[in-house]
Amino acid sequence: MTVVDLDDRDAQDTVVGRPRYVLDQHIEGELHAKIVRSPHPHARLDGVDPTRALATPGVVAVLTGADVSGDASINATFGRQRSDQPILAVGTLRYAGEPVALVVAESIEAAEAGREGVGIECRALPHVVDAEAAGAPDAPQLHAAWAGNGCGEWKLRYGDPEQGWREADRVFEGTYWSPPASHVPMEPHVCLAAWEDGRLSVWTSTQAPHRVRDDLAAVFRLAPEAVRVQTRDLGGAFGAKGQTTIEPMAAVAARRLGRPIRLELDRDEVFLTIGKHAASVRLATGVATDGRLLVRRVQVVYNAGAYALTSPLAAGQGLLRAPGPYRIPHVEAHVLARYTNTVPSGPFRGAMTSQLAFAYESQMDEIASSLGIDPVALRRRNLLKDGDQYATGEHLHQLHFGELLEDAARAVEWGTPCAPAPPGRVRGKGVAVMIKTTLTPSRSVARVELAADGSITVRSSSVEMGQGSRAALTRIVAQALGVQEARVSVPHPDTDRTPFDSSTSSSRTTSSMGTACVRAVDDLRCQLTERAAAELGVPAESLAHRDGAIGPQGGGARITYEHLLALGDPPLVGEGLFESHGGLPAMDPLDVRGFSTVHWHQGAAAAEVEVDCETGRVTVLRCHGSAYAGRVVNAHRVRQQNQGSVVFALGQTLMEELVYDEGRVVNANLAEYMIPSIQDVPELTSTAIESSDLEAEPHGVGEMALPAVAPAVANAVFHASGARIRCLPLTPERVLRCLRENARADGGSGG
Amino acid sequence: MPLRYVEPSSVLETCALLRSNRDARLIAGGTAVVLMLRQRLIDPSLLIGLRRVPGLDSITAASQWLSIGAAVTLQQVADSDRVRALAPSLAAACQEVGNVRVRNRATLGGNLAEADYASDPPAVLASLGAVVCTAAPEGGGRRIPVSDLITDYYTTQLTSDEVVLRVEVPLIDGRRSAYVKYRSRSSEDRPCVGVAASLVPDPQGWVASLEVVVGAVTSTPQRMTTATEGVVGARLDEARAGAVAAAVAAAIHPIADGRGSAWYRTQVIEVMVRRALAMVVA
Repeated sequence: MTVVDLDDRDAQDTVVGRPRYVLDQHIEGELHAKIVRSPHPHARLDGVDPTRALATPGVVAVLTGADVSGDASINATFGRQRSDQPILAVGTLRYAGEPVALVVAESIEAAEAGREGVGIECRALPHVVDAEAAGAPDAPQLHAAWAGNGCGEWKLRYGDPEQGWREADRVFEGTYWSPPASHVPMEPHVCLAAWEDGRLSVWTSTQAPHRVRDDLAAVFRLAPEAVRVQTRDLGGAFGAKGQTTIEPMAAVAARRLGRPIRLELDRDEVFLTIGKHAASVRLATGVATDGRLLVRRVQVVYNAGAYALTSPLAAGQGLLRAPGPYRIPHVEAHVLARYTNTVPSGPFRGAMTSQLAFAYESQMDEIASSLGIDPVALRRRNLLKDGDQYATGEHLHQLHFGELLEDAARAVEWGTPCAPAPPGRVRGKGVAVMIKTTLTPSRSVARVELAADGSITVRSSSVEMGQGSRAALTRIVAQALGVQEARVSVPHPDTDRTPFDSSTSSSRTTSSMGTACVRAVDDLRCQLTERAAAELGVPAESLAHRDGAIGPQGGGARITYEHLLALGDPPLVGEGLFESHGGLPAMDPLDVRGFSTVHWHQGAAAAEVEVDCETGRVTVLRCHGSAYAGRVVNAHRVRQQNQGSVVFALGQTLMEELVYDEGRVVNANLAEYMIPSIQDVPELTSTAIESSDLEAEPHGVGEMALPAVAPAVANAVFHASGARIRCLPLTPERVLRCLRENARADGGSGG
Repeated sequence: MPLRYVEPSSVLETCALLRSNRDARLIAGGTAVVLMLRQRLIDPSLLIGLRRVPGLDSITAASQWLSIGAAVTLQQVADSDRVRALAPSLAAACQEVGNVRVRNRATLGGNLAEADYASDPPAVLASLGAVVCTAAPEGGGRRIPVSDLITDYYTTQLTSDEVVLRVEVPLIDGRRSAYVKYRSRSSEDRPCVGVAASLVPDPQGWVASLEVVVGAVTSTPQRMTTATEGVVGARLDEARAGAVAAAVAAAIHPIADGRGSAWYRTQVIEVMVRRALAMVVA
């Protein structure tokens, strides 16, 4: 049984419903906006007719793309890597669900009624949903500026692949498919925007307040300081709120109407705003008969959807992670992202990596089975070890893949047979390992303020979204400063008050913002030491900090921090910076090599499943997640992150898929888009692998087990039943078809 | 037009309101009506809440019948000692609907009137020979067998001014009933296939009568009379049960939806009929 930490203020607050989200926020005098969306996956937009909507009681205005593009003071498109996304559609509709017009009214109900009255005049064009098809010469083209629907291309060549293919005794090939999926945060995207004296102030549910600030500043051609972005705790995000999405619409409407605008998405609209990259991964691996991996070719096509968001660079992140956590002397990798007429794809917990790990870890078990080698032993033989060279040419350090593998295997008692299954059912076990980069380059600044009453305020733009960033930063600051956690508070991000942070994503907050906080505390302690030295008339070097006070190293009279600040003094402020350089932006996309990431994320998972051979239904009996955490800040919260990763991933493993028919999403609701319920959660276990170095950095753990879950379950299904499914999710129907095919093939070879 | 809401205090008043407002909708638990409103699948001008109408919320049993009021929630059905003793398959099916939050709001009468093809209770009620008792203006109340009630997707025989009062389940000594719900996605999903079986054995334990009703595979629950008639008067052993299951699967032309293709449903129907029959025999 897990004991809940009763000192955990955030956990208590959440359980009793105390946090206030942006969803709870209102501004006096606000108007409500609702989005009119494209009914077509691809069309020429001839016009928008607001007449009937404007006649609806309560409707104040209808904004269209023409209103936006006709305003010379506004950039009508946005996007950090490519400014390709219109605030409201102009000329072309590129996916079913794209915002076409904004109905603004005195109430949500009036805006909803008005939305029904907006006419869209357009002519349908041929559309493309599949990213492979989008690469065909005669495929519909989404953006004139980007021929061939290209939305990022990255290549890597390492060693001498031709030699590798010559040396290989056996070659294994397969294509592995991950469908589009949705983040399904409990809180929908919501934004409030207001203008005052030429300054834009926005409340929004975002993982990246400064990113939104800068994007909005670009839209309105303002200095970043002229835009203020505030957020609160998020009711879930998982990557869905890492990009600017609805904020420009709300801000444009607020400026035009001179009143605050509140824009809250309906549940179905969340599905139509941002999703996970569907991906096909073609993987060929040459091996020696003793199981050594000799050469690998990986070709990935990510579906970027209708607009770029982060895809051009994220495809490169995929490339860095595509070879897998193995020592392979020869590697060739080619990763593409392509535009299609679908919901734009963006970061998704386990971003770009889950699709890859499903491929390389499924194939690892295929190789093991074919060569007659135990899957764990095969991995043990090939996993990257400290100092090994990776396909980027880097020598990697602080590697713990071996420990992670052994831990995962131990968790499901690898080598011990499963308990007998009921009649008609079979059981099996599977393991998987994964490697992932973190956001590089990136930047985080923290300020730690000490007030005269002894309270400590951490100014940070990291966003609490259920992952426990506030608790982690509180503990890091309290420990670094040697004070009680109860004295530390971490207010919500506010770009006017909290310093710059790249984003709360990529499992980087505990590590990056944590480091910035430690440095801010160092700065603060130096200032305190100087004050104490002056007060005591001794050299600063002779003083030491202990329990919120400073005194001579050998003991003697000490001065408390409170005492060093007289009441009425401004707080003493320490500032700390974390900054990383290099990474993908510094590389040649078609010849990737060199320093990739400040840290290589490492994780593993193991599963035991039961397969109903008559229906193909997979029941996960138990699932284990483990992550390399460096130095653990809070063991309980690491466990929860691993468990969260497992449960989140089981959804994409077993049931989640955003389904398109005729170019339209047909399951944009929670009755037809299934996520796991509490009853689908198996027995969960978790491990944080810690560094033996007590001074080691803490590393993020938010996604590490996640990409390994789908292949661990798929491998367990194979181990149990012989069904090898290369298509997610592992639906009962897919499993049953495979079992039937296997039975037919067995019957055929027997007769 | 803005949506109005009224709460009549009698069945008669309810019927009168329905007659004078042809596009009115009844609302009890709201789990179906509110979703349909939100999805704009219905656009009534009047919602008639049944909260204050007396006599719709009780479960009673007489020698011949178990009677369940239309406004009894699915969770109350599932938890009722009477239902569990007299119609265990109905209690089991209601316990399997959605999740506890849904079951605590959704009502049995509402469930039948909604006529969702992917629902658990209708198939079970049909297998038990249950009858829906209704009221209508000018004494136009009827008794409609559940197996005839649902005529198409979200469509019933009920007229626009008819109110479901209760469901009556006939009680038969020695009857054995079972409901098997098969979900292909999450544990809170609607059924991909639902099979209700009801067996009345003769004194030697052989089949006196057998009802198999398959839900969630076509627009309406499928009552399988031809497939089961061959085992009447015989012992329902594994081979005969298998033959019934195969005959049922062959007789149904299932739909395809997000829960499974037609091919897949055919496979699963056979499996689930076999499992349901094993439960009523055991």
